[in-house]
Amino acid sequence: MTSGPYNYSYIFKYIIIGDMGVGKSCLLHQFTEKKFMADCPHTIGVEFGTRIIEVSGQKIKLQIWDTAGQERFRAVTRSYYRGAAGALMVYDITRRSTYNHLSSWLTDARNLTNPNTVIFLIGNKSDLEAQRDVTYEEAKQFAEENGLLFLEASAKTGEHVEEAFLDTARKIYQNILDGSLDLNAAETGVQHKPSAPDSNQANLEPGGGKDSCSC
Amino acid sequence: MYRNETAKMEEIVNETISVEEIKKFERAYNSELARGKVNSRTQFEYAWCLVRSPYTNDIKKGTVLMEQLLQGGNPQIQRDCLFYLGVGHFRLKDYTKALQFVKGLLQIEPNNHQAKELEVVIKKKMNKDGLVGMAVIGGAAVVIGGLVAAGMAISKGK
Repeated sequence: MTSGPYNYSYIFKYIIIGDMGVGKSCLLHQFTEKKFMADCPHTIGVEFGTRIIEVSGQKIKLQIWDTAGQERFRAVTRSYYRGAAGALMVYDITRRSTYNHLSSWLTDARNLTNPNTVIFLIGNKSDLEAQRDVTYEEAKQFAEENGLLFLEASAKTGEHVEEAFLDTARKIYQNILDGSLDLNAAETGVQHKPSAPDSNQANLEPGGGKDSCSC
Repeated sequence: MYRNETAKMEEIVNETISVEEIKKFERAYNSELARGKVNSRTQFEYAWCLVRSPYTNDIKKGTVLMEQLLQGGNPQIQRDCLFYLGVGHFRLKDYTKALQFVKGLLQIEPNNHQAKELEVVIKKKMNKDGLVGMAVIGGAAVVIGGLVAAGMAISKGK
């Protein structure tokens, strides 16, 4: 159980973007709850999820903002892009139109985040092979041309869901280590928590009470 | 799990937006207003920003604009408004009203997990403040009548 003020040393902010119905909320749910959410209604506005992961021995808390894909939310959800360290851009391998719209999502992601933001392309619903409308090779090429990480995944079976979220974090962490992501710059989407989990941290942080639950 | 669910929704209801961001959508709304006709989407965008404002008066204005959309907007926007009226009134600490709007949404979409989570967060707050009893007796009847009507309008529109 969580005991100290922080049981992680970094916070990374993620956003999930893409057309409606591609399975953004289901990917988030599969990642945070390890369950498939069937019959998920269209997201109202945004959803939020967190999970603590480990990369190279560092505990990292992912704070994930999952945006509604419906067009009427698009103008306002753009405000969530700012200060994202990672962006998961999702399309549905069984619906070509969701793939065709990627360039528009990518333009938003590039314009509204910072140059270090790691963008990961996910082709969701890989379990529906019989209904495939976009080949793996085509999407892979699109990803390479645009410098994106890429995997096909299934929120339903869980295939490659962990990998997509974790590989994004690994890439961000690597950017921190090699100095291309400056922790002191504004809106990097990364916060470093000074109290490391292995140090003796009992009641060191005055703000620690906020994180512990009183319920 | 239960704790994690409420923590997620608490993040949503407590999240605030910058004043510059609100101003951007305010300009769009005001220019349409000056021309005499406001598109319901423009109104929704502005209202959604207002209910996430750090300022009480903005939140109040946001709820007024959302209530207007409940009367005349399309069914999809009405559903979104019920949810954000729940959020807005929660932020205004009017938990009784917040709960009524969320219940209105649950009437249309009984399995909507966002609505269910918001309901839990509101009830938790009411328990803490000892308001549960008051909510049952107090103004419930007034708003619920209107909401059932809104709910019926939305169901018909589907």
